[in-house]
Amino acid sequence: MRKTDFLNASTAHLIRFGILIYWSIFWLFNVVDKVIGGAHFLWVGRDRFAQFQKYFASAGLEAPIIADASLVVAAALEVFAFLFFAGALAHFWRKNAGVARSWMAIGTGLTLLTFTIFSIGDHIFGDRFELLEHTLFWFSSIGSWVVFVHLERQGEDRITSIPRHQMVRTGLVSIGIAVATTVSIFQYNTDFFYRRTAALSAERVDADLYKVTFPFLGGSTVFEETLVKFLEEHPTKTVDHIYTVPKPLRLKKADALIFYIATKEKP
Amino acid sequence: MKESRMIQASILLFWTAFWGLSVVDKVVPDVHFLWVGKDFFALFVKFFGSLGLKDPLFATAALAGVSALEALNFSLYAAACVNFLRKDDVLMEKWLFRGLFASMSLFALFSIGDQVFGDRFQLLEHGLFWFVLLATWLICKYGISGEEQAKPASPIQKTGGFKVVMILGALGTVAASTSIWQFSHATFADVEAPVEGAEVADGVFKFDFPFLADKRVWEATVADFRATHPGLVINYIYTGPSELNSKKKTHLLLYIFTEPI
Repeated sequence: MRKTDFLNASTAHLIRFGILIYWSIFWLFNVVDKVIGGAHFLWVGRDRFAQFQKYFASAGLEAPIIADASLVVAAALEVFAFLFFAGALAHFWRKNAGVARSWMAIGTGLTLLTFTIFSIGDHIFGDRFELLEHTLFWFSSIGSWVVFVHLERQGEDRITSIPRHQMVRTGLVSIGIAVATTVSIFQYNTDFFYRRTAALSAERVDADLYKVTFPFLGGSTVFEETLVKFLEEHPTKTVDHIYTVPKPLRLKKADALIFYIATKEKP
Repeated sequence: MKESRMIQASILLFWTAFWGLSVVDKVVPDVHFLWVGKDFFALFVKFFGSLGLKDPLFATAALAGVSALEALNFSLYAAACVNFLRKDDVLMEKWLFRGLFASMSLFALFSIGDQVFGDRFQLLEHGLFWFVLLATWLICKYGISGEEQAKPASPIQKTGGFKVVMILGALGTVAASTSIWQFSHATFADVEAPVEGAEVADGVFKFDFPFLADKRVWEATVADFRATHPGLVINYIYTGPSELNSKKKTHLLLYIFTEPI
């Protein structure tokens, strides 16, 4: 008899539980992303309307109703996939393993159908990266289904207890490493967070040519503050153009953004 | 539908569509109404050009060879589909094996090409497709068969919560559809509306482009800027590199450098 409480559960039972939790959360957040729409405080998500609209516009279908209708179909598949996985989870929790399997089969079917439709779209719209992404999700869905049904027979493999002294040592080592990394991260934050906004100095490399090397934390605020500072420090000059060093010319991973400000004298 | 048959149908549908559309992509080159696809001819010409084989005959012959192999792949999966519909599992499995094996061979060939042409990202992509095919075969051969669930006491429609899930699903779909509709209505103007700039330094204006924006928005923005700032002349337009964007939240940053006329 399988137990639902974690302490007495088998490893197979926990993995099956984890599979249902994963797909339930996966589809729940996809639905939430559709319902929220756009970036807000505490939610960025992905602007699927913009993505779909651009896809269909590239194929000559510019009317927004096409993108809307496609998103509605995708959302409906995702809503039902979420509900069937959540239902499977509920039945699994109540130890109705057979019913949980039936519900998961429907959830998996909807997942496979969704990713197949997405993959067909990727072919039509020529997005090879998304095709790979959707194929991998499609396969993950089949793979997790197969693992779920195979583990049904593996209920007797209970989690064996770990000797107490090993638990204590592992716990102490984990706490030690966690403390060291936490201190390091907070120290780095204290010492270097100013890089997120502080203006940078431009280094003169040639006549009317100045180099600015960005820290990894730098963003648009740093860029704009740097421009303000540069123009204040060089009141007789005007920016002619800015040259961004392309990625192939940067040192692998060691260089963040580098740009050069080419100037000319103000008339 | 039995669980194993549903998984088989999904596998056949996915790979038949995959290879069928790959063939269509070769038959329909370039961008057309209802079809964008990928310009494999340009890709092959560049690949062979980088090897020093600049005659387009090489790229054309290679692409024709690849297309022929893809057509063969599609035919094998289509034959498996026909036998699946006829419920001839033995023949379906034989055709599916041939299809999967042919697909793996094709991706192995692509991977050799990726190594020769030094394209490591495509090597990863083709390696992953190859592995997915291999694993798909293992699942077909050993994963589905023999794992059929004993016939449930009652159909899923009569299990607890089914009606509730149907109602919740309908409500959730309506809620998501309403939200999608409202968001589309609120943002669709971004497709061509000019972006408003903000002066971030003396004579330097920043434009934060929305995700829906394309070249038409850029042109409208420049025209609008000129109309609203008749005393300024545009010296230079700088496209902010991706490093300047807040992760995922900003689509494109544009800076316009000006000076008084």
